[in-house]
Amino acid sequence: MRNLIAFFRRFRVFLIFVLLQLIALTSYFSVVSYPRTKFFNSANNVTGTLLSWEREVTKYLFLDRENRKLQAENAELSKKELINYIPVDPKTTIINDTIRELTIEKIPATVINSSYSHKNNYFTINAGRLKGVERKMGVVSSEGVVGIVYDVSEHYAIVQSILTSTINISAYVGESNAYGLIKYIENDPRRVTLTGVSNDIKIKKHSKVFATGKGGYFPHGSLIGKVEKLNPIEGEPRWDIIVRLEQDMRRLHYVYVIKNFLKPELEELEKNVDQLE
Amino acid sequence: MNNLLIHIIRLIVFVLAQGLIFGQLEFGVGIHPMIYPLFILLLPFDISPILLIVMAFITGISVDFFMNTFGLHASAAVLVAYIRPELFRLFAPRDGYDVLKEPTASEYGYKWFLSVAGIAITIHHAWFFLLEHFSWSDWLIILRKTVLSVIVTMFILLIIQILFFKKPKTI
Repeated sequence: MRNLIAFFRRFRVFLIFVLLQLIALTSYFSVVSYPRTKFFNSANNVTGTLLSWEREVTKYLFLDRENRKLQAENAELSKKELINYIPVDPKTTIINDTIRELTIEKIPATVINSSYSHKNNYFTINAGRLKGVERKMGVVSSEGVVGIVYDVSEHYAIVQSILTSTINISAYVGESNAYGLIKYIENDPRRVTLTGVSNDIKIKKHSKVFATGKGGYFPHGSLIGKVEKLNPIEGEPRWDIIVRLEQDMRRLHYVYVIKNFLKPELEELEKNVDQLE
Repeated sequence: MNNLLIHIIRLIVFVLAQGLIFGQLEFGVGIHPMIYPLFILLLPFDISPILLIVMAFITGISVDFFMNTFGLHASAAVLVAYIRPELFRLFAPRDGYDVLKEPTASEYGYKWFLSVAGIAITIHHAWFFLLEHFSWSDWLIILRKTVLSVIVTMFILLIIQILFFKKPKTI
């Protein structure tokens, strides 16, 4: 017993060192491998508030560009407004409003803290549980898919950015309809990789890549980016498709969280089939 | 006790500077300066090793809260605190350290500061980026990030030393 105490006294610095390393690394690696841990992130009130203050100061620096983007978005929307359409021929026009159902709602939010140079990137937005944000909701910007909500507090949420090695967003190439998974391999904040597409499918460069509706994260057909390069993988009958993101993640400031009303139904239905999840 | 207050204020200032300024600057090409290890190096000479490690852990998790890194900074900071006593012993002046003085460049010279901080920062950054990537196939990226970030961090630390830690006027 005395030897044991003597041992602890002798190596107490090293033991404390090992203990604290274990705490820190367990937290880090459990997040990287599977999303579970909930501490050490900026979804808490103190850091959230401080980061919001910082954003209040810096937001004027990019107002101009964001305004232009908003204007373009508005112009695009106003094209779809009913008042701008006239019936071409009353006999052939179908009014189909009543047979459509609203499936998603977009919750606007502002990015208050972000990174893009790490291997796994997360960003914090200023909308939380009180605004209806929940875990595992998709996040898009006006230009394309940007991530999935990872953790939520009252006023803030942490979003796992598309620049994360475990993001695995299900996607397809527009013209050929080939399915695959989006992964972040390249360490380049403008490019992600679409994996799992068989190389007997012809894929054109510059064709658009969209998200599928899998898991109810994004509406089917949300834009992700464009095919930039095709690399055959040696020894495997697959393409490695480099996708250039539509949204420059280095300039991400305003986003929408997607609330899918039909998601519980989808999950309920897919719950019993192992292969789907 | 006055001393303790100074270190607590320093802790807050370093964490805020890292979280709100240096962590938000994105230089691109993998440059990611981390200045808070300087706080660990600046703690007094006669601090007990355990307290030193615990202080480093607190600094690290505070930075983690800002940067969404979930414990990565804490791990690297604890490592710096663990090697600090050995590092100081290695570069001790001939007549030892004066426990009443602070471990700054103005007290012990820029050569001393550059070697001690240079080694501590290099180990810190290398550990950080190794854990961040955690695969040998990324060694070129890890190396590039480490070298570039160490250069930028050391430059910032030198400026901090020159601006804020001037030699007190002796009478």
